[in-house]
Amino acid sequence: MTATDDGGLWVYAERRGSSFTPVSLEILGKAKELSRQLSVEVTAVTVGNDGGAASELQRYGPDHVLELVHPLLAVHDGKAYAKALGTAIQKAHPSTLLLGATRNGQDLAGRLAVRLRTGLTAHVTSLELDGGRQLVGWVPGFGGGIEAGITCPEKRPQMVTVRPGVFLAPPEGSPTGDVKTVKVDLSEEDVGSRRVSFEPKGSSIDLTRADVIVVGGRGTGGNFGRIEELARRLGGEVGATRVATDAGWVDRDRMIGQTGVITRPKLVLVLGVSGAVQFTVGIDGAGTVVAVNRDPEAPIFEHADLGIVGDLGPVVESLLRSLGGA
Amino acid sequence: MAQRSENPAPVRFDDEAWEALAATTNANLCFQCGTCTAACPLAENTPLRVRQLVREAQFGETDAFLWKCMTCAECNASCPRGVDIVGLVRTLRGREWRTRNVPKGLPTLLWGMYSDGNTFHLPPKQRASWMQDVKVPGKGSTLLFVGCAASYDPRAQRIARSVAALLNLAGVEYQVMGTEEVCCGEAARSVGHDGLFRDLQQRNTEAFRKRGVERVIAISPHSFDALKAGQSANGGPEVVHYTQAIEQLLDSGKLTKGSEKGTVTYHDPCYLGRHNGVYEPPRRLLELSGLKVVEMGNSRAQALCCGGGGGRMWMETPPAERPGTRRVQEAAGTGAELLATACPYCISVFESERGSEAIPVTDVAELIAGRVKA
Amino acid sequence: MHIVVCMKVVPRPEEVKVDLATKMLDRAGARSVINSSDMNALETALAFRDAHGGKVTVLSMGPPPFEPYLRVALAVGADEAILLSDRAFGGADTLATSYTLAAGIRKIGKVDLVLCGEESSDGGTSQVPPSIAEWLNASQATYVERLVPGKHGTVHATRVLEDGKETVELSVPAVISVVVGSNEPRFLDYDRWAFAQSAKVQVWNEKELCGDPQYLGLKGSPTAVAGLREVKKAGRRRETVTVTPDEAASRIKAEIDRAKIARS
Ligand SMILES: Cc1cc2nc3c(=O)[nH]c(=O)nc-3n(C[C@H](O)[C@H](O)[C@H](O)COP(=O)(O)OP(=O)(O)OC[C@H]3O[C@@H](n4cnc5c(N)ncnc54)[C@H](O)[C@@H]3O)c2cc1C
Ligand SMILES: Cc1cc2nc3c(=O)[nH]c(=O)nc-3n(C[C@H](O)[C@H](O)[C@H](O)COP(=O)(O)OP(=O)(O)OC[C@H]3O[C@@H](n4cnc5c(N)ncnc54)[C@H](O)[C@@H]3O)c2cc1C
Ligand code: SF4
Ligand code: SF4
Repeated sequence: MTATDDGGLWVYAERRGSSFTPVSLEILGKAKELSRQLSVEVTAVTVGNDGGAASELQRYGPDHVLELVHPLLAVHDGKAYAKALGTAIQKAHPSTLLLGATRNGQDLAGRLAVRLRTGLTAHVTSLELDGGRQLVGWVPGFGGGIEAGITCPEKRPQMVTVRPGVFLAPPEGSPTGDVKTVKVDLSEEDVGSRRVSFEPKGSSIDLTRADVIVVGGRGTGGNFGRIEELARRLGGEVGATRVATDAGWVDRDRMIGQTGVITRPKLVLVLGVSGAVQFTVGIDGAGTVVAVNRDPEAPIFEHADLGIVGDLGPVVESLLRSLGGA
Repeated sequence: MAQRSENPAPVRFDDEAWEALAATTNANLCFQCGTCTAACPLAENTPLRVRQLVREAQFGETDAFLWKCMTCAECNASCPRGVDIVGLVRTLRGREWRTRNVPKGLPTLLWGMYSDGNTFHLPPKQRASWMQDVKVPGKGSTLLFVGCAASYDPRAQRIARSVAALLNLAGVEYQVMGTEEVCCGEAARSVGHDGLFRDLQQRNTEAFRKRGVERVIAISPHSFDALKAGQSANGGPEVVHYTQAIEQLLDSGKLTKGSEKGTVTYHDPCYLGRHNGVYEPPRRLLELSGLKVVEMGNSRAQALCCGGGGGRMWMETPPAERPGTRRVQEAAGTGAELLATACPYCISVFESERGSEAIPVTDVAELIAGRVKA
Repeated sequence: MHIVVCMKVVPRPEEVKVDLATKMLDRAGARSVINSSDMNALETALAFRDAHGGKVTVLSMGPPPFEPYLRVALAVGADEAILLSDRAFGGADTLATSYTLAAGIRKIGKVDLVLCGEESSDGGTSQVPPSIAEWLNASQATYVERLVPGKHGTVHATRVLEDGKETVELSVPAVISVVVGSNEPRFLDYDRWAFAQSAKVQVWNEKELCGDPQYLGLKGSPTAVAGLREVKKAGRRRETVTVTPDEAASRIKAEIDRAKIARS
């Protein structure tokens, strides 16, 4: 397919449980915004073994909802999903396809792009029009220090996956658009994988997978109750230095560092920790590091994006207050 | 952690391997007197029994607690038959690498040393970050070998800056390798990986040759010991520990005594003391500051290991098994105001394992820099 | 089973510079390493081979200086190494990269499993593994932390997803991407150095690959780079402030909100 704009803007609404991934709604909002600039229609497309969830999508303003269904599509499988979606795209010729850059979203997108012999822009952190009808997606590389603006000048659809949290989901409105349910033509050979079991997150602690970690060190004086509270409010996990675990304040499996766990959270809040190298090697891979320490010379500040010099107690209390909620 | 992974299938030696082992370590001479177990600081709090370890080695088997050894060499010093138990431990560990029966974390350590040139998996580009505003003459045939800990560990970086300041004060000409320095390989040797140890030694030997180095001053006793072993094997430069180098400046009158009052106790690092017999230079340097040195009951050749040698810095040790806590208590018990040592590992261990002991821990170089004059 | 491990050699991220004037990346001065999750993929492959038999081949697309890194993989334990190298492969985006790797795999012949890292540390799109799967019409499982044989010649792969861990049964041939840190890569075997140094690393150019030239390199790449920008300086920001607890709390809250989107 070459650069034409006939079939409008498609958004892949990825199902999770009985609903959709949050990023699906975020990109649906972005698609609405782009469609106004481009004067094209927005289609939200779902894949599954049944329809039924379309009414939720309709409240986010699509012009059409397309449900691709088949009993073999009950659970995500990159191979089968790419075939289902690819076939529909080859019929309708959308100019653009947006997908959420979730793990399953990327699993599907990488395969689908080859099926369609088109370009795919990866997990963008921003998305804009280049003045004309072409999208420029900004893709982080080299550990996040550099972003490349990627376009797809000739092939269509231009495919883009979007990082969760980049765009705001639009407010819910009254239902819009029509719903079409299409039974996909699929056979056993089109399926590559079958789910055998699923273990939901949270059934065991796993600091290596936590997005947010609140770490306490000797400077907490053992007051981990407040640290736990903070971690809970932030939807994160508690971590600790060796000194804090040795003191028995926290379980040993929460120790971060050279002889503990190496973590890669999006954000780590480091409280009352001096910043010995045996500890910091465990947080060097974090997205953002915020440290609170009353010693302005503490080496931890060399490893922090934001360092607060001061007593951690009142800072923790203020933060808990400003986070509100129970 | 320190325990071996499941299925500890014994490694059996073939005759040839046993002969080589016997020749290098005298393990065949052991008559099972048990003196080594009595000397081993781990016999009290851990299941390691070194006499048994030697016995098992004679039968071609590997002791289940092999990895607990800190290579402190207390046993070596005590053995009436001259068995090189530390050498035996390293060799036995080497065999475990062949069957990949090694504690978790050690392959990662070695990968870091191999590809990043340091024990922390940190970028080689950051290796010179210890220098901050320190000016290095950058000429002459003397090289200050900083080592991984003093290059990357912010606590140990202070030691490197202090040593450089003392050399500068005395007007010594020396160079540093900055981001081109690579790990001395001691950790590889301690965990029994001779291949990587030799590889890193070779990289260092070449760098020394290219720079026309005739004398190396090492900051860490571990680098000192490893480079000394490697360089004498390769016909490379003379290697000294910084306490020796600065002691010479003292003798040549390039540094004069400070007037500090107070007391300090000194912990002998195993790789400086027992392994290399360097006992006096650090003590003389401490006195140079004006402080009075108070000895612990276990000092010099009898010094208790901190627990950080033998690759133990990369293996977690249950609190009840750590000699470091005992050692800080012993130091505090002398009534001295400060605990000084001359090894970055000892400092990390004491800072981490001091528990409620409040005695400040410092390195000899840190303590005397700023307290002596040119 | 015959397992192919796709291995990419990447520049150390902290040594790559972007020239904002010319909008060009300067990798010339940067030292290289084997992409980190590719080492986890290699370990997964070697452990699988050691336990269940078979053979492991490492495959890379890149310029001739990649060869020594393939020899490292041989010294670690791989049986064979192949480098796809030709100027015609240059400038490839993920469509062309995956095509070239898939063509290499096809030329190798009977391959049961293709193991990749989850993503590279330079481009980092994570698109190459599922794309290879489509070119080969193979089944796929991405973000896998555990791989074991299943019944009737299948494999079971445990995928790490946002909301939990999913174990799937896959028909072979299958393409699998392995999550970083899912295992501890074994260290180099120095006893294999001699073998690794003398072994033949096969180098296949465009002609030997027998691929369709329209899918190779720059001309097989539908995406284009419209610009480059530096979003943050390498390393930490190291901003320190002394403020009231309330002010501190609001500064921290701002960081939390920003961090949520900084990585996914
Ligand atoms: C073999 C070995 C392995 C090790 N492995 C690890 C490891 O895996 N992980 C690890 O974490 N450590 C490890 N360590 C220990 C490490 O070297 C440090 O000793 C440890 O990380 C220090 O912990 P800390 O920062 O909590 O305590 P400290 O170093 O004592 O620091 C406490 C900090 O809290 C600050 N503070 C005190 N009160 C307050 C207050 N009210 N408000 C704000 N700030 C305050 C102080 O200024 C100080 O900077 C290891 C050590 C050894 C020897
Ligand atoms: C900042 C930046 C942004 C980019 N954005 C895009 C984009 O949006 N869309 C696009 O199509 N291209 C993009 N590229 C180009 C892309 O990086 C190249 O196509 C590259 O050849 C492969 O993609 P990757 O590094 O993202 O691989 P990933 O898909 O992240 O790699 C996953 C795995 O595939 C295997 N693999 C990847 N490359 C090779 C190889 N050469 N040899 C062997 N195995 C390999 C490895 O196992 C690797 O771990 C971008 C490049 C940069 C630098
Ligand atoms: S070297 Fe030290 S720890 Fe090891 S066996 Fe000998 S005395 Fe014990
Ligand atoms: S001290 Fe020497 S001779 Fe005695 S048991 Fe130990 S190794 Fe054997």
